[in-house]
Amino acid sequence: MTDPTSPAVRTEHVWKTFHQEAEEIHAVHDVTIEIARGEFTALAGPSGSGKTTLLNVIGGLTRPSKGRVWVAGRDLTEMSNPELARLRLEQVGFVFQAYNLLPVLTAMENAEFPMLLQGIDADERAARVGELFKRIGLDGMEGRRPGKLSGGQQQRVAVVRSVASKPALVLADEPTANLDSAASDALLDVMRELNEDLGVTFVFATHDTRVMERCRRLVRMVDGAIESDKVRS
Amino acid sequence: MAHLGVLATLAFRNLRRQLRRTILTASAMIIGGGTLMFSLSLGDGTHEEWIDSGVRMGSGHVTIEHPRFRSGRKLEDRLPAAARDAAEAVLRSPVVAEQVTIASAKLTVTGMASSAAGARPAQIMAVDPVTEAAFGTIDDQTVEGRYLEPDDRLAAYVGVTLAEALGLRLDSRLVLTAQDAQKEIAGQLVRVVGIYRSGVPEIDQSLIHMPLTTAGEWLGSGEDVTNIGILVADSAAVSGLVRTLRTELREPIAEGDAAVIGWREAMPELAAAVAIDDFGNYLVYGILFVIIGFGIVNTVLMSVMHRHREFGVLQALGLTPGQTGAVVLFEGLSLTAVSAVVGIALGAFLTWYFFGDGLDFSGMMDEEMTFSGVVIDPVIIPLFRPSRFAQSITFILFVGTVASIYPAIRAARIDVTESMKFDR
Repeated sequence: MTDPTSPAVRTEHVWKTFHQEAEEIHAVHDVTIEIARGEFTALAGPSGSGKTTLLNVIGGLTRPSKGRVWVAGRDLTEMSNPELARLRLEQVGFVFQAYNLLPVLTAMENAEFPMLLQGIDADERAARVGELFKRIGLDGMEGRRPGKLSGGQQQRVAVVRSVASKPALVLADEPTANLDSAASDALLDVMRELNEDLGVTFVFATHDTRVMERCRRLVRMVDGAIESDKVRS
Repeated sequence: MAHLGVLATLAFRNLRRQLRRTILTASAMIIGGGTLMFSLSLGDGTHEEWIDSGVRMGSGHVTIEHPRFRSGRKLEDRLPAAARDAAEAVLRSPVVAEQVTIASAKLTVTGMASSAAGARPAQIMAVDPVTEAAFGTIDDQTVEGRYLEPDDRLAAYVGVTLAEALGLRLDSRLVLTAQDAQKEIAGQLVRVVGIYRSGVPEIDQSLIHMPLTTAGEWLGSGEDVTNIGILVADSAAVSGLVRTLRTELREPIAEGDAAVIGWREAMPELAAAVAIDDFGNYLVYGILFVIIGFGIVNTVLMSVMHRHREFGVLQALGLTPGQTGAVVLFEGLSLTAVSAVVGIALGAFLTWYFFGDGLDFSGMMDEEMTFSGVVIDPVIIPLFRPSRFAQSITFILFVGTVASIYPAIRAARIDVTESMKFDR
């Protein structure tokens, strides 16, 4: 059971270590962090700083080598693979750098895919996706396959997919890296709006200054560890 | 259940996405399925023809006889009257009668046939001419004269080789000698009413048909018979009928007066030939489908390799590894199922097409071929058995499932974070 009063994310002394031949590489280095519900947070840092790995650990895509992780009050550390899959389905939305829409599904079907897996009925799915499509300027594109959409449009579909199932948090890994500045700005505006209007928690892994500028909280990472954690007023 | 629909949609659309590859693999499976179905029908038709030829020349699909009759073929090992009455009553009962095409009671003894030209050992089979004409095929193989008729008394129907050896022609006199019911040697003068050529040397040189009533008087056996041969419409029904008859005749069987024997037991060489031919066919089907199975593995595995990232996304979105594997399994199975149905329908069509006239292989046979008392007909008529539908579909689906398991495991075991790295 998830706890609605618990933070969206909490990590406690999380390490993620990879073994390369005899060498140990600490991609995430003793990270303890708490992200409250409704936050709009950026994990920033250069390539190799561990932000994507931390995002993957928080999203239950990979297990920490040490430490504990809670999402919506649920401890991921002891979960089995099917339990982690269930948690991702119900509590976590993902937005990826490469959009990662399923090419055989239409924009509408992609957007409602997590809800389909959750068993939400067709009318409810259509209502939620329809409203979000209208809100972020995808109205009329429901029947298009990803190949017939621009990069910006695909990423918007991915954003709808990530929020339509009402997860506790959305993890966005370099969501603007493949977009031009206009598309990036438009996408970030949409995400910010969703955060403010619907209270969706967003956590970004990014080195895009536009993303950092829009985030209220900026966590800087270097060599797998948190270097600074600032909240803008 | 919602998941099942999603997985099926993904599977079908992915098959459509790689249409050329899907069509190529499906074509191989359709041809394989069609070949399997048609070959099975052809094999069944061949075997049914062998069995039919063998049982009509011999003692039937099923025979009720004295337990010792088969080893010695002596008159003393005939069915006692009580056992014969019980057997005939069972054969008249509705449950058994509906399975039986015809039953022919016979008195078969080993003896000698003599003429002015010499003497030869003979199998003397005394029969009811009308019943035996419907039971056997020998009456259709007359080369001279005619088969026995109901009013015949001192008549004999002999094989062409025996006739040549004894210098017999139509209306020639012939003396048959055998041990009678009192274990005395008894002779009977008969006249040749017909000469046949069965094509089976052992039969043409020794088997003589004569009227059952005449033989009863000659041998002092009255209306007794040595065996009752039974024919059924489909040899597949034999084991069931044998079980039924053994149950119904349990008393004479327990007393050692009767035995119920199926054709496999009565003609082990024929049964072995059918089994060996089946084994050879199944081996070929096995090899064919191993090759087709590799084709499926290749198609599905290539599809998995090309969609590594997609499977990562599916798992990130909440599909379990098992469900991810199920998507792949679903793809393999739907490809297999559709191809199997089309292929088997094709095979059934070929079976239907050749059902009328059959496939004529006489150009490949120099002369009449026989084995174990069976004449091989060069025209093979495929036999359609509904059970072959189920067997073929089950077999093809099994191959499809096995072939899809490895790609499914590969898809289930992907490293989600690795598969979604942007530079991949």
